[in-house]
Amino acid sequence: MDRKEVMTMNQSVIRSAPLPDKRPKGELWRRIIKNRAIYCMILPGILFFLLFKYVPMGGLVIAFMDYQPYKGIGGSQWVGISHFQRLFSETMFYTILRNTLVLFSMNLLIYFPIPIILAVMLNEVRHSFVKRFVQTVVYIPHFMSWVIIVSIGFVLLSVDRGLINELLTMMGFAKIDFLMSTTWFRPMYIIQVIWREAGWGTIIYLAAMAAIDPQLYEAARMDGASRLRQIWHITLPSIRSVIVVLLILKIGDVLELGFEHIFLLLNSMNREVAEIFDTFVYNAGFKQGQFSYSSAVGFFKSFVGLVLIMIANQLAKKAGEEGIY
Amino acid sequence: MRNDPKKRAKGLLIGLIMLLLLGACSGSNGGSNQGDQASSKPPASDSGTGQESQTPTETEEGPPFELTIMANLHTPEVPSDKIKELLEQKTNTKLNIIWVPDGTYDEKLNASFATNSLPQATYLKNQASLIMFRDAIRNNQFWEIGPYLSEYDNLSNLMPEVLNNTSVDGKIYALYQERPLARQGIIYRKDWADALKLSAPETLEDLYEMLKAFTNGDPDQDGQSNTIGLTDRSDLIYGAFKTIASYHGTPNGWGLQDGRLAPEFDFPEYMDTLKYFRMLFKEGLINQEFPVTSKNDQQNLLITGKAGVYVGSMGDVQTLYNKLIEVDPSAELEVKNEIAGPDGYKGIWSIPGFGSVVLFPKSAVKDETELRRILTFYNDLMSPELANLIYWGVEDEHYKVEDGAVIVSEDAKLLEREVKPYQALQIGGISTINMYDAKHVLPVKAKAEELIKENNKQLINDPTAPLDSKTFGEQGIRLGDIIKDASYQFMLDRLDEEGFQKEVDRWYSEGGQKIVDEFNESYERSK
Repeated sequence: MDRKEVMTMNQSVIRSAPLPDKRPKGELWRRIIKNRAIYCMILPGILFFLLFKYVPMGGLVIAFMDYQPYKGIGGSQWVGISHFQRLFSETMFYTILRNTLVLFSMNLLIYFPIPIILAVMLNEVRHSFVKRFVQTVVYIPHFMSWVIIVSIGFVLLSVDRGLINELLTMMGFAKIDFLMSTTWFRPMYIIQVIWREAGWGTIIYLAAMAAIDPQLYEAARMDGASRLRQIWHITLPSIRSVIVVLLILKIGDVLELGFEHIFLLLNSMNREVAEIFDTFVYNAGFKQGQFSYSSAVGFFKSFVGLVLIMIANQLAKKAGEEGIY
Repeated sequence: MRNDPKKRAKGLLIGLIMLLLLGACSGSNGGSNQGDQASSKPPASDSGTGQESQTPTETEEGPPFELTIMANLHTPEVPSDKIKELLEQKTNTKLNIIWVPDGTYDEKLNASFATNSLPQATYLKNQASLIMFRDAIRNNQFWEIGPYLSEYDNLSNLMPEVLNNTSVDGKIYALYQERPLARQGIIYRKDWADALKLSAPETLEDLYEMLKAFTNGDPDQDGQSNTIGLTDRSDLIYGAFKTIASYHGTPNGWGLQDGRLAPEFDFPEYMDTLKYFRMLFKEGLINQEFPVTSKNDQQNLLITGKAGVYVGSMGDVQTLYNKLIEVDPSAELEVKNEIAGPDGYKGIWSIPGFGSVVLFPKSAVKDETELRRILTFYNDLMSPELANLIYWGVEDEHYKVEDGAVIVSEDAKLLEREVKPYQALQIGGISTINMYDAKHVLPVKAKAEELIKENNKQLINDPTAPLDSKTFGEQGIRLGDIIKDASYQFMLDRLDEEGFQKEVDRWYSEGGQKIVDEFNESYERSK
């Protein structure tokens, strides 16, 4: 019931946008002029997307050229799909694809639920000072750059003087070289992601939870529902559509794992598990001014992202959710 | 690249703040400042080691010439304008210097090039960047300056051999910044060696014994086993590896094998070096995380008395010493070079005589008149007076002259803020300009400088420096990573000899063979 409420709210927001119009063109213009204030308001947004998202897409043609900056797009030679052929024939290609997908799955399976759990827990805190305090504390890491977070990780995990290794020795265990290990790279990565982003990720969920009608909880309490029951039957279903939307968006980011973070963690000893598309583009392409090849890799990456987002959206719709389009 | 805008924004912000501060400063004591400059002018011009013919062609008629320069910033902050303003006065120019942090220099260079927005005078980061730009140079994107050089009395002093190393297809496009050919050597704790009754290492075997004694012999005599021998960092070239490889007799990058050029890792000496390091690693004589250690951390290991040997630029001894005595006032450092390998001393790897170069893009420099005006600026910059200004700063403020040599101010922060960044603009150097040399108060630093000169007696050159390979320009870095990764993995005992050979084969099959062929072809042509 409550879910429907949220959904109708969502729908009413969506519906208030102009419907596809079957009336004559003059009518559309008349309505645009009538609501010009509203149209003016979305103009900067539209311009932004045109200017910074759509126009640059034209540059993707260089993925099919042997682009030389001094010759320009007009003067460079067309080479068809040879850059893609080179990418698929790289010996590293499958390693990179595997690493990207593994790290992505970890993001999805391990990281994604954590903000939800955290948000539910925060939502249950009745003392508003404690709630705000905890919220602020868990947000803070989000405002630190990866450089700082990785450096802190370095100091903690180093073999030579790292705190964690000192602790391990004190407790009688052998030292572990986290930084150069292929087995520890992934856990290290995901823990840092969680540490930095989990708090920030709760914001949207908390906002969605704030919109839940308190009467629902009251009614449930009257019926004798415990806190856990209330969470399971009221809180979670109420934020279900938000979860689904965020999940789809997350899936769209499949190959966007954060260049900076991984680049900082990457070294000669863990490249086998740490090299992803972004770092590969940087190392193989950008450092040597191989613009076309870099674009081809980027193009492939975005394409995979698009396909995944479409699949996820279809699945969401089949499950009776709104989806994102 | 992705964080570039952020960094730029940060740079801008810092720049703005600096400007504001500067404005505030000059506002409050503008008068006295001018007075300073007026009074410092005459001594500066006659202390210019008295070569009148080489003083800048002062104040050409007309309004100041506007010149935009992109240069490498090696310090965390952009410098104050003081030296820039003096420079502008002397050369009748209005300089707009774009400072780009060292860490992102190549990216910024690439991005500016791709968008056709390189400034009139574009400094490259290092020799590798020049190789990357060869293709563009060949495609007529930069002015050829070779024919003009003889018209300028200072520029004509640049050394032909070094200019040749910067040349593309035999033509000269770049002015170079001089670098000593080989600064590599060993710095070690003399007090530790004395305590353990060790003499200076003469061979790699001695060095190994020293590292072992420093690790196991309790050289700091505190009764605890808390020291290691060698401190190294994640750099196969400027770290310890390449220098030790030279001592083993490994060629510099490329060597001749039966009359054909072959990459260094094809030589058995390279493998010997890898094994040497693996031995150090296994016995715990080197910091265990050297493949991920930064230069700062590497130096800190020596400074904090944890490690006793540092292999790298011998000139670093000054900084290391200054910081070391703060921790342990009784510490002593010593430098050593010419370590003999199994077959005696074979020389030391060298760079091609230049560090960075400056290019003049045709997209920014419209015609020959403009180019000549820029070259005039650089000719002025090579006059002793201005060379001293950008390298040492202002006399009595940043340095003192004693016996015709410079003693720099002890205020390191002041130098970093006002002088050091401008050293990146220097063209030529001490061997081509009659400028001040440094006087080293610290004896071991003076000795280090001696040994750096001594290194020149037996150098191992990279034979591919003047040669050309298209594939190397396109894929050299990525392919190099294969060997780099494999080398580290071997040294950390995660890869055996067979495994290493497999990676070498991979290097060949993924494009290395092409590089070998192209270099050999280029080599045959140059003979």
